[in-house]
Amino acid sequence: MKFVSVTQQDTSATGRGAGTPPPSGGRPAAPYPGLPRRGPGGRRALTALFWLGLVAAVLPWWLDTPAGSLTDTTELLTAAGRITGLVAGYLLLVQVLMMSRLGVLERWAGGERLSRVHRDLGATLLVAVLAHLALLVVGYAGLERKSIFREVGSLLGDYADMVSAFVAAGIMVAVGVTAVRAVRRRLPYELWYHLHLVSYLALLLGYGHQFSNGAQLYEPGPVRTGWVAAYLLVVAALVWGRVISPLAFNLRHRLRVTDVVAESPDTISIYLTGHRLNQIDLLGGQYFRWRFLNPGCWWQSHPFSVSAAGNSHWLRLTVKVVGAHTAELRDLAKGTRVWAVGPSGTFTAAHRTRERALLIAGGSGIAPLRAMLEELPPGTALIYRARTRADVLLHRELDWLARARHTAVWYVIGSRDDPGPRQVMNPEGLRRLVPDLTRRDVYLCGPGGLVDEAVRVLRRAGVPRRQIHLATFEL
Amino acid sequence: MRRALLAITGLAAGTTMLVVLKGSPGASQVVPDRPVAEAPVAPSTPDPTPAPPGASANPLGSAPTGSAPTGSAPAKPGAKAGAGPTPDATPGSTARPTTAAPKASTGAPKPATTRTVTGPVVSYRYGSLQVRITLNGTRIVDATALGMPQGGQSGLRSDDVQGSYSGTAGEVVARQSANLNTVSGATYTSDAYRQSLQAALDWA
Repeated sequence: MKFVSVTQQDTSATGRGAGTPPPSGGRPAAPYPGLPRRGPGGRRALTALFWLGLVAAVLPWWLDTPAGSLTDTTELLTAAGRITGLVAGYLLLVQVLMMSRLGVLERWAGGERLSRVHRDLGATLLVAVLAHLALLVVGYAGLERKSIFREVGSLLGDYADMVSAFVAAGIMVAVGVTAVRAVRRRLPYELWYHLHLVSYLALLLGYGHQFSNGAQLYEPGPVRTGWVAAYLLVVAALVWGRVISPLAFNLRHRLRVTDVVAESPDTISIYLTGHRLNQIDLLGGQYFRWRFLNPGCWWQSHPFSVSAAGNSHWLRLTVKVVGAHTAELRDLAKGTRVWAVGPSGTFTAAHRTRERALLIAGGSGIAPLRAMLEELPPGTALIYRARTRADVLLHRELDWLARARHTAVWYVIGSRDDPGPRQVMNPEGLRRLVPDLTRRDVYLCGPGGLVDEAVRVLRRAGVPRRQIHLATFEL
Repeated sequence: MRRALLAITGLAAGTTMLVVLKGSPGASQVVPDRPVAEAPVAPSTPDPTPAPPGASANPLGSAPTGSAPTGSAPAKPGAKAGAGPTPDATPGSTARPTTAAPKASTGAPKPATTRTVTGPVVSYRYGSLQVRITLNGTRIVDATALGMPQGGQSGLRSDDVQGSYSGTAGEVVARQSANLNTVSGATYTSDAYRQSLQAALDWA
């Protein structure tokens, strides 16, 4: 275990049998200057749209309620119940929209960020729904002078669409509970995923009661029309993002497996070919959701980064074998059809805020960074953390890129407490390797622990938060 | 996770803020109430001003002049009248205690003939209604609501309320007051009915 602080030549000493041949294939490295930037403008626009929508959702209540009309506790409770109901209805639509795989969202906000927000907003939505339910039951019970239980009975029996609304609330609670990290870890991913899909039912079942009983939505008028329109838009986005657009993409490109190569004992690269690959709007660092259409794998889809920049000959993903699904990928037969949804992600060279970049990879996290290297200007720095020399992936390609694009590559080998990594993973160590650290965008991809530690170190070294890009995919 | 907690806190704070902002002018609300108290009266058939000879014992009728003996009464028409032009606010609990009033006025000499009194038009969530009561002396013998929405979900609510309150065998006649049980599933309609009925009783 030693700290290797050299570029290309040294590392070819790491001998490995199988491995990806140099990928150039006669293809010259993409010329610089490369691609147009995609700044945070799109993301900010989406955020603004979200807040605007939230205001628009609560505004009808505000306009309908005369000032000073909430005189006693039951009225206050009922009013709060209505507000939380409107907020919950809106958040549910946003939640579904965020998972619609709509191209605009995936490319402007990025799938990783969307799933993070989806998670946080999901918790908020659950609380809003429960608050809505509790406040209105208590409020109505006070108004009608009934016990809570009799009020629930009367809501279920006498009001239209309330049975399905209660079922919808139950579904949301179930989905919310299974999304709690501690619970989710105990469930197989696929079971959890399909359970989570049931939440579409909540959208359907919760629909009716908003219009038959909703104080702001009962009367025909612009508010009711707008609310219905929002529903229709979300459903349209869902159909477009989940069905039409993937269908169009896959009919157009018809991807197939052409080769599976072992990069290291526990990592494989899958090469795909297809039609019109040069027309895919792919940036290095983006990912697709892949579905391999063979008997064992067709029913599950997983996000993997593309590990080489877009070209007209092949696509490649580099995958670490960690679970049952990834183990099956080893045995993919040549010619297996592949269903891909994407590309998505904002972890790309085009999203950087500064000219130069520093890339920090851990283990198989090199895949998106390797693809990105081809689109970054000369002078880029790459720090590659790996446990052992055998765990260094794609090193011949990295060496080739380092030469072709004047990239400084450091391989930092060893576990966290070994002297090499300890020398590098602190503010002084990083500054020694990359003196202009704070004037670079930093891209991090790797195991969660490494990424968290690196972010802490970078922040202490004075790198602004907006210059740090993460590719921790958590769903 | 931290952001989720932040969002939930924001939700709670935002909801509270909205409710408080809407509810807070309550202090100033008491003042405009008095003039407003006469407002629902205006569009209705019987004029309240000729009423005093018959209804002098009625705390509600005397409310505009600020009758001393009924200490809590002035507050009640206040809350109720505030609700008059605003279908949102439900008079709820405040309306009920005052309904003993018409009975208290039985001592007043009255010709024992039947007459009808029509309450003000009260608009509510799903439409508007007006309660007409028939009195024999001071006893309510019949009641009906006019102008309620027909058809659809609102129509069902109208029918429910009409069915249980109105008619010679309805709850109004049985109780001789506006102190009626809310018809379940028709809270707004029930409240509007009671409100119009209460006003009609006050003028009777």
